[in-house]
Amino acid sequence: MRDESNRGLDEARFRVVFSHLGAVKAYALRRGSRDAEALAAETMTIAWRRLADVPRDDARPWLYATARNLLLEESRKRRATAVLAETDDHVPAVALREIDPDLSRALRALSAFDREALLLIAWEDLTPTQAARALGITAAAFRVRLLRARRRLRAALADPPDIAHQAVPQLDVEGS
Amino acid sequence: MKTDSAFLRLRAANPFADEAHSTADDELFARITAAAREPRATRRSYRRPVVAIALALLAVAVLASTAFAVSRWIGGDVVKPDVTQAEYRDAQRELSVPPGFAWPPLHTEPNSVTTRGGGGGHAVLIAQNAWECYWVQSIQRKDTGAQRRAHARLDSLLRNNTLVAPAGAPEDWVPANPPDRPYAVFAQDGGYEWVQEAYALAAAGHPQRLAERCRANAPG
Repeated sequence: MRDESNRGLDEARFRVVFSHLGAVKAYALRRGSRDAEALAAETMTIAWRRLADVPRDDARPWLYATARNLLLEESRKRRATAVLAETDDHVPAVALREIDPDLSRALRALSAFDREALLLIAWEDLTPTQAARALGITAAAFRVRLLRARRRLRAALADPPDIAHQAVPQLDVEGS
Repeated sequence: MKTDSAFLRLRAANPFADEAHSTADDELFARITAAAREPRATRRSYRRPVVAIALALLAVAVLASTAFAVSRWIGGDVVKPDVTQAEYRDAQRELSVPPGFAWPPLHTEPNSVTTRGGGGGHAVLIAQNAWECYWVQSIQRKDTGAQRRAHARLDSLLRNNTLVAPAGAPEDWVPANPPDRPYAVFAQDGGYEWVQEAYALAAAGHPQRLAERCRANAPG
């Protein structure tokens, strides 16, 4: 009887966690998963198995961190089995082909760390504290990264990459 | 958090927004919850001894982690700002920036710590960006000799001063046997190959990606 009651409580709690299935799938798609649906389902299966470990107040950072580990595993397997034929493995994981070309170019010009910081906030709609937890770093470190990434995105979007007329940033502003 | 137009534009461009709000899958929910859960770590009848053992283990872990942290602080992977600054200065003797560029000062908070090698890594990234911008400038002024020099320097930086972390490595990953020369670490997410391709494209007469990197990664 008690077991049934506990199971009912666990299922009710898992229902809340499970409501983020779409968000996890979107994250997997954004990170370039070959099978985002399966990866999101696997993330939820792990969440159910380890429900006691999932923070009660805010499950999303835990889910993203788990999905991220699965993505890394998927990527490792993909590289291990990659054939020599041309693949798009060199393309950064973020799926950028569907957005406007200027924005896509600007994002691609950023480092992977900067890009991830921006997109966790802009697309996954996490707060900096949540994003820091998803990445396993401190909130302070994440905020520094985010600030830098936003500045670089602005710079990259500032003018179109017309090589013939563009102004090159001056680095020699201060001596050593 | 303050917003800016670039960030708002990015937020509005999310191609996966609809996916994130898709409705839950009841069948999947039923299938997952039908599976067994991992057993809980403690059982009621053994609670007291388990708690005692857990507390003892916790005490050992705290002592051990403190000792480990102190050992890391003294001789390990985390260093104080003076070490980072020294690494940055030393790296400037090994690396070079192109004519017309100068090493910017490295600002470190006095109460901060940095991963060992961070000063050298910062210098590598500064040098890389400087040579990328120099290459762009030399393309603009059609100076083929300077273009070749920049390309060679950048290839050398990638070859000799760059490491790719193993898949799944933490962001503060440090190699077990760090090289003597300054090095920057790339995550294994395709970024290294992306940079290589940017250089190959520029050498083949398509410098747009190189120009974007120059502009986006400039210090400041």
